[in-house]
Amino acid sequence: MNAIEIRNLTKNFGQKQALSGLNMTVPVGAIYGFIGENGSGKSTTEKILCGLLVPNGGSIRLFGRDYKDADVRAKIGVLIEQPGCFPNYSIWNNMMLQAANLGIQNAKAEIAKVLKLVRMEGAAGNKFKNCSLGMKQRIGIAFALLGNPELLVLDEPINGLDADGMRIMRDVLRDVTRNYGCTVVISSHILGELEKIATHYGIVRGGKMIAEMTAEELNANCRTYIALKTKNTEEAQALLERKFARVEKDASEYIRIYDTVKAEDMVAYLYNELDIAVTEIRTDKVGLEEYYIDLMKEGR
Amino acid sequence: MENIRQVTFAQPSFFKRIKGMLGVDFYRLFHTPLLYIFLVIAALIPALVSMGGEGEATGMFTNVWQIIAANNPLYVISDMGEYANMNMVFIFGGIMVSIFIGHDYKSGYVKQLFTTHAKKQDYMISKTLLGAFSMACMCVTYLIGGVLSGAFTGLPFAVNAGSLLCAIVGKMIMSLGWASLYTFINIIFRSKFGISIALCFVLGTGIPVVGAAALIGNTPALNIFLYGSSVYACLSANFVSVIVCLACSGVWAVIYNVLGTLTLNKRDVY
Repeated sequence: MNAIEIRNLTKNFGQKQALSGLNMTVPVGAIYGFIGENGSGKSTTEKILCGLLVPNGGSIRLFGRDYKDADVRAKIGVLIEQPGCFPNYSIWNNMMLQAANLGIQNAKAEIAKVLKLVRMEGAAGNKFKNCSLGMKQRIGIAFALLGNPELLVLDEPINGLDADGMRIMRDVLRDVTRNYGCTVVISSHILGELEKIATHYGIVRGGKMIAEMTAEELNANCRTYIALKTKNTEEAQALLERKFARVEKDASEYIRIYDTVKAEDMVAYLYNELDIAVTEIRTDKVGLEEYYIDLMKEGR
Repeated sequence: MENIRQVTFAQPSFFKRIKGMLGVDFYRLFHTPLLYIFLVIAALIPALVSMGGEGEATGMFTNVWQIIAANNPLYVISDMGEYANMNMVFIFGGIMVSIFIGHDYKSGYVKQLFTTHAKKQDYMISKTLLGAFSMACMCVTYLIGGVLSGAFTGLPFAVNAGSLLCAIVGKMIMSLGWASLYTFINIIFRSKFGISIALCFVLGTGIPVVGAAALIGNTPALNIFLYGSSVYACLSANFVSVIVCLACSGVWAVIYNVLGTLTLNKRDVY
């Protein structure tokens, strides 16, 4: 059974078509990285999924059921942009109100549990308006976790966070998926961070899903390359371009050779055949970010 | 991934949903200054309309209870004394409901709410009951303010107690209908609560019904409107007046709740 099955989803905002027949499949238990440019339809899809926007067409099934059913909705935890909190109330009071809305029986214990999970147990008495962006995002995750959801939908939860905030958020998300075993849909522009936690990916462009894959499939799609430095980069690159199909210079002045040759064989080959002395060499893979950029370029 | 649970569903009952939502709304109502400010305003209105600058009567009223309700159901107004009574609570009630619901949208609470199992219909019901309760409370403070203002100005207290009771109960019942109208207006204009406040103010004053009465005359047919029935709950009211108020308020509450639910279901929430 899939946690989410979206078929031919369409949504118009006046004359503008935000989604044009989007399909999406998220297996139960997946951490689904939802990727796309600004305005590609990620947030619109998530807002429809959460019942905030009304679609113009298509079907959405959550755990095999209609997404509008109240009992299905009771199993969804959501963080869209920022959590909807009353700024003058404390974090604790805001969470108590959300718990009351959800009809949670043992609210105090449940809130204490989720606040601990998002590393906010010491800040429960703070007023929401006095919280930093990183704290607000973690409160949003805590909100979403109330009521033991089966599906978490998180829209850009790591945007705007500093390095430490991102690390905490990544740990929180890992703990959430480990401890709760729930399915997570997470959209983000920060692909490097997403790559560290996602098990599945969906790439959306122009309101359509252009690729869906598992992390393993992504790894298989991402080509290995050898990155090297020499004393004379320009000359070496010119020589290498004559011998290999794809040679590029990256931003750090490394020459990248996209080939399956081993690094040590490459050093020997370059020295013996081309008289190029290598000063640094390593083998690497094209990451999600580069893969995504390549994919976007192909579509243009 | 290692720890996937069996997914089970439980249908939250209407009672459970509405209990949670009402609990949150009433908590907010009692923990913000909004309600208390409007209760004080309601208590002060009778003094403002009945007392002159020296603490003497303005001459608009000849009896204390006229501050609460007119002698007869007069939709066509000939002087301010026939107009200025407890019905003014509904004007201020509209402003209060607009601020309350506007804040729901501004804070993102509505977004948080509708992503859970909360139904749009529950939201309409909860806000209507909250608005009705607030306006009923404002009727009480208006009554207290009216009696005190009347006592200060030395107006006579003579009245048919049964009719007075029917008038007060009738007006309090009308709170439900008015609250549903205001909730519906706010569902349409959402966070633009400036527009909602203006519209609630215009409708709360009963200007459309007063205008209609000027054209078609002082007819009981105007009781089908909220303002009409609110006027009908006057110092000559009886048990039938209460029934009319109950029917009018109830029917409009249902109509506006259905329209509000449809609006919420058909339009994007956020």
